[in-house]
Amino acid sequence: MRCFGRQCRGIGHVFVTLVRRTETHLLEMGEQVLPLARAAQAYLHGATHLSAEQRAHLTTRLTAALEAHHRIAHQSRRLTQGKTLSHCKIVNAYDPSIAPICKGKSNCPAQFGRKPGIIAEPAAGFIFALHLPVGNPSDASYVQPLVDDVEQAITRVRTRHTPAIHSLAGDLALNDAALREALHARGILTVGIPKTIDPLAPSPTPEDVSRILDEADLHGIRTPTQVHLACACGYSRPVVESIIASLLCRGAWSLTYKGHRGAIVQMGMAVLAHNAATLVRIHEYRLSKRARMFRRRLRLRCRKVNQDNASIN
Amino acid sequence: MHLLRYLQHWLSGRGPCLQVADFVPETHPIRQWADTFPWAALVAAVERSFAQRFPKLTTRGRPPVSTRVLLALELLKHELACSDEQICHRLRTDLAVMYACGLTEVQVDGSQAHFVLPEVLAQFRRRLDEPLMAELLAIQAATAMEDSLVSPAHLVVDTFPSEQGSQRVNDAATLYKAQKKSSRSSRP
Repeated sequence: MRCFGRQCRGIGHVFVTLVRRTETHLLEMGEQVLPLARAAQAYLHGATHLSAEQRAHLTTRLTAALEAHHRIAHQSRRLTQGKTLSHCKIVNAYDPSIAPICKGKSNCPAQFGRKPGIIAEPAAGFIFALHLPVGNPSDASYVQPLVDDVEQAITRVRTRHTPAIHSLAGDLALNDAALREALHARGILTVGIPKTIDPLAPSPTPEDVSRILDEADLHGIRTPTQVHLACACGYSRPVVESIIASLLCRGAWSLTYKGHRGAIVQMGMAVLAHNAATLVRIHEYRLSKRARMFRRRLRLRCRKVNQDNASIN
Repeated sequence: MHLLRYLQHWLSGRGPCLQVADFVPETHPIRQWADTFPWAALVAAVERSFAQRFPKLTTRGRPPVSTRVLLALELLKHELACSDEQICHRLRTDLAVMYACGLTEVQVDGSQAHFVLPEVLAQFRRRLDEPLMAELLAIQAATAMEDSLVSPAHLVVDTFPSEQGSQRVNDAATLYKAQKKSSRSSRP
């Protein structure tokens, strides 16, 4: 049975008897659902007074309800038999994306809800893509879809120099050998993903740079300057927290739109609004010293043209 | 479309015509925020997606509220932390919100209660889906990259919990803990 919360801070208590009793009760209550659903299906089949559209609509609804029942019954059966769940426990019959979040705060009750993933540039906090999967899978599984989305956005760019992803940073949860290999195959450095809890070296020696390029097998693809910049970017928790805080104050704190699709719409709108606010900050050059430094090194536009002209005049 | 007959349109006003841009200074935060969006591309993407998924069966009836207005209202709702009702009310009275919605001029009519009803906004939102949201985000990102405002060279990935039950510390929780601590420490 899955325990919630981190194991490092005390022992997670699971009330096995209570869980089994509740799940048995659920199974008993749900026994009547299947015969009722079959009867409803038979009735729908013979309901000639309903239009074809109405019948199709009701059949779809009934099938969705049966699927939800099947999912919950399967889960309850596993729990009563003392078997582990293949994934986190479903807590809402009609929305399997609402489930306990594996990545909880230490020594706290389990968190329930959704876990959106973002991919952003660390200098100003512009979010390139958002991923909100059904359920709460591991953090490493977010990376590939997010990188795919960024590359799709890049294909839309109509400038002479097509931008490219040089490096990717993340926390220890992204430390996965398969993921690293997949990113290296796409020409992306993974120096920003730590392997241990030790802090990353912000300025690597030439030997380190050579070793990083060797490990990733990206010698002809990435330059030492790009490695230096990737190390300097690293993974900064305050930077990520500031992006998350900005999203939370734009409605990502509590998702009120209905269902998984609603959650995607709400999060997407919050991200679009956040990005617009970020662009305003960039236009006005209201950026941290670190962000200004990165922008200079990435040769991004630093000031408004008219501001430059004004300063010259 | 029972809602259509309840719709109020700003074009139906009979009073003097106001130029919205004249009333909203260039330094206004909402104007600056709205000017960053590539509206034409975003609206085209939404209309293309709607036309594919919800083809119009008839050309009869009143013309619908512009996609540009509804999309801007949905975005403003998040930016200004408003409810559907609040943002629809602000559209009636706030010229900066009108500017963000792309309204260039308004016919003044005091008797008009709404420009857009909250129900219309909810109906618009119901039609948005995952691929469309991803496309809108990609358009915004591509425009920012084209303008050399952002670069995808070095990126950071992270996840965060949302929805009820989140244990993220907020002001109320901090205050509650502080009170509890002080009451404990004051005990003999």
